[in-house]
Amino acid sequence: MKCVKKFDAIPKLDGSWKFIDDYSYDDMLHGQLLYSTCHHGYIKKINFPANYNLSEFTMVSPKDITGDNIVPEPVCDQPFMVDKEVMHFGQVIMGIAHPNRKLLLKFIKETKIEYEELPAITDIKECLDNEENHFGKETIIDHRTKKEPKGEWIHHHNVYYTPHQEQAYLEPQGVISVYDPKANSMFVLISAQCPFFVKSGVEAIMGDAVSEVIIESPEGIGGAFGGKEDFPSLFAGISSLLSYKSGKPVKMILERVDDIQITTKRHPARVELDTWTDPITKKIKRCRIDYRIDAGAYQTLSPVVLARGVLHSISGYSVLDTFIRGRLFKSNTPSNGAFRGFGVPQALAAMEAHIDRIAADLNINPYEFRKINLFRIGDEFPTTQKIVEEHLSDCLERVIQKSDYHKKVIEFAEWNKTHKDKKGIGIAIGYHGGGYTGNGEKVLDSEVKVIIDKEAQVKIFVANTDMGQGAHTTLAQMFFEAIEHPREKCWVQLPNTSKTPNSGPTVASRTIYIIGNLLRKFAFQIKDELKFKNLEEYVKTHQNEFPKEFHKKFVPDKSVIFDEDTNVGIAYKDYSWAACVTEILFRADTYKIDLKKNWNVMDVGKVVNEKIAMGQAEGGITQGLAYGLSEFFYKPGFGRANGFTGYTLPTSLDLPEMNIEFIHTDSEIAKGLGEIPMDFPAPSVRNAFHNATGVFVDEYPMIPERLFKALEENK
Amino acid sequence: MKFIKPKDIENLYDTLDTTEQQYLLAGGTDINVQINNGIIRDPNIIYISHLKELSGIEETNNEILIGSTTSFKDVIESRIIKKYFLLMYNSLQNFASPLIQTSATIGGNIANGSPTADVIPILLALNAKLLICSKSNKREVPLKDFFTGYKKNVMKNNELITKIIINKNAEQKYQTYYQKVGSRNSLAIAKVAVAGIKKVVKEKIIDIKLAVGSLNEYPRRLFKVEEYVTGKRLTEIDFEKVEELLNSEITPISDFRSDKEYRYHVCVNLIRTFLNE
Repeated sequence: MKCVKKFDAIPKLDGSWKFIDDYSYDDMLHGQLLYSTCHHGYIKKINFPANYNLSEFTMVSPKDITGDNIVPEPVCDQPFMVDKEVMHFGQVIMGIAHPNRKLLLKFIKETKIEYEELPAITDIKECLDNEENHFGKETIIDHRTKKEPKGEWIHHHNVYYTPHQEQAYLEPQGVISVYDPKANSMFVLISAQCPFFVKSGVEAIMGDAVSEVIIESPEGIGGAFGGKEDFPSLFAGISSLLSYKSGKPVKMILERVDDIQITTKRHPARVELDTWTDPITKKIKRCRIDYRIDAGAYQTLSPVVLARGVLHSISGYSVLDTFIRGRLFKSNTPSNGAFRGFGVPQALAAMEAHIDRIAADLNINPYEFRKINLFRIGDEFPTTQKIVEEHLSDCLERVIQKSDYHKKVIEFAEWNKTHKDKKGIGIAIGYHGGGYTGNGEKVLDSEVKVIIDKEAQVKIFVANTDMGQGAHTTLAQMFFEAIEHPREKCWVQLPNTSKTPNSGPTVASRTIYIIGNLLRKFAFQIKDELKFKNLEEYVKTHQNEFPKEFHKKFVPDKSVIFDEDTNVGIAYKDYSWAACVTEILFRADTYKIDLKKNWNVMDVGKVVNEKIAMGQAEGGITQGLAYGLSEFFYKPGFGRANGFTGYTLPTSLDLPEMNIEFIHTDSEIAKGLGEIPMDFPAPSVRNAFHNATGVFVDEYPMIPERLFKALEENK
Repeated sequence: MKFIKPKDIENLYDTLDTTEQQYLLAGGTDINVQINNGIIRDPNIIYISHLKELSGIEETNNEILIGSTTSFKDVIESRIIKKYFLLMYNSLQNFASPLIQTSATIGGNIANGSPTADVIPILLALNAKLLICSKSNKREVPLKDFFTGYKKNVMKNNELITKIIINKNAEQKYQTYYQKVGSRNSLAIAKVAVAGIKKVVKEKIIDIKLAVGSLNEYPRRLFKVEEYVTGKRLTEIDFEKVEELLNSEITPISDFRSDKEYRYHVCVNLIRTFLNE
């Protein structure tokens, strides 16, 4: 739990580190995307504005593509640029480049496109409520028993909706593509999470036109949160095509308005829950879950989000008779993509609210009801994976104790009798499987490389990027702490696909969990192989052996077997667990929830760097709370947000006093931490609102306008 | 776009007399955004922030004069403002971000005339006046009479606001109230804003000024509500009547930020709370 300082903190503070827009090349052009403002239709004509010299512009459209017009994704269905039919707002029609960025932006703004419009689905509920409107393949978990529900069991049926969420990274999407005609190679510098995904994207669009594609990370990446997982592949494809056509380096940085409007978001979801509970034992006996997400116009990586959402949709409860059905729905909006949590926040939004609803009906305290239904050692997930630890229960007990929950429930109820404003307290639990789902880590076949030079400097080569989350500091720390090597002699190198082996994407809470633990093992292995006690002394005395290069592959646990067709088996080897309690004050005059206090207890296994871990937790919890409380991207009748004035991220004045504790930190394994803080906080706010007012709200965010309506309807 | 920087205040008045379709640029926090977004096209920009005569806070025997290009930061940090107008001092603490506080000006906030302008309801409650000048004329206009429509006001093309004038005793012996309801606690545009001052003697309201923002095409005083409650004890106020009057004085709309029903009810709640306090 050492707090090694982030090595990037000072160069970021003093401005010496470069982010993508700080890089420049001679004779560089600026690129931008010309995208569709129509949701569905055919392009009739593109009218470029007069008074510009068109010969100064480089333009690429599908006819310029030397490879394939399909972005490589888990489902390859999205074209880089509109082929025949515009399928969604924000779909790229052309890439355009010019030496003068300002002039280019003006040119694009003044370009008018005529469409033949077709019917389009743009509303979230219109998309998700229509049974017929889904892509083919379903994700099913069938853990049904043949027993019919007993008459005395109490049936609860509810539908929960969650909206888009914008990643809101500080640094917008940015890329520079540099085509070298002599070497016939394409070098791409990009603010992205997954350099090897980008490589596949650029290779796909370029085809045989280039013989080598190299992707490199800039020194700094200003946040990503999943938003720089898949969009960069499309983005870099187009900048590369522009560079190839013009023969010049092309820098493309999205304006914030474009970034918000056309890039991937968290999938809006509709989760329909049916539960049957025994009123005597208070056990949930039967559960049916219909989990739907709006994929957007194309499926891209949505099936993977769907799978994770479905796998977490029962939350932490043991229900013997369960059937879960997951489906991807279609809309004429940009494809939704990765965002911290990856389907889990939507799942927990439903189940964690539903639990409080049942508890209220059964007249039992929400904590007691959770405790009765929480899974225990020997129980199993709907996938049949056995529960082997009760750390989720430990998190819940600890957070109840820390927050003085029971005392406050009584105190608040008393206080509320004499006050117009209302105090409320709510619980939520959650968990997150670390790494890729099912057999994903086997397929990834991750590899890392280490070079030790003559000065005993350790250079670590991994493809995982540091986007501000501190991954490179923590990864290096896991290596040098294992062999007690000086910190200043151990560095993770900037990812570059020509030098770095493919250790997989920087996603799925896998960087520390998979790659970090691998590096730690690797450090011990190298120590055993070379038989040293002190690496510096060893290198001094064995100079002729250095520089020396070491490679290691991740070997998945053989006992982890998952059938991806039936969703039976071990979906994730290790889970991180969490529970939280949030206190609110509901303002009667303004219908506004003020977040007062928030306690969180998490088991993420071994905590490598406590400060970085705390930072991750605080950031994720903030995103989670705001997901439930204030952030919305689309409003029926008023369209989509176009900046941070409309898209209401919280400020520090909107946040509660936050308390975070990690438990079971004596574990050998550092488990996933990146996503779990995002998963569980929002439902605790919803439950606190119910505690305060007696009213349930079935939709996020709990903006005052929605609460006002809910209270009016409940009058 | 033409950019003009007058060398002194006299030169400014001359420029105002001879320039068409001009925009005065002080802090630029509204105008620059409007130019960037193409709302203002090809403007004649006259820069005024460097003219010392237009900025600063002075105290006379009866009044406080705030120069129109005084920044919000200077307003908040002014000992004079804190001494005489706690309502303004407290209400503006969370105005925008520190960056915008430093550049945005009080006169700009008024002249821009946004329905959501933060400072206007406060100044309306304090019964502020504006000193409006041109090369050949000077006139005082009560702020309550300044606006004539959405982003429209009584100024001629060659005039500018030079001072905001508030009586020193504007809030003395008054109870004050301000609530800005935004989508977050700072860096937010008001969905509803209510500012008010009232003098209560023996439970009877003997004077009241109520102003609201974000509920009409420009921030306004609620004269009908004021008139109805004046002279009444709290127990004599019929809130159904207050709502009826309010209904005739506000015209909330639905937009991306909020809904008209919500805005209306929040306004009712806030005014009721202020009257009952």
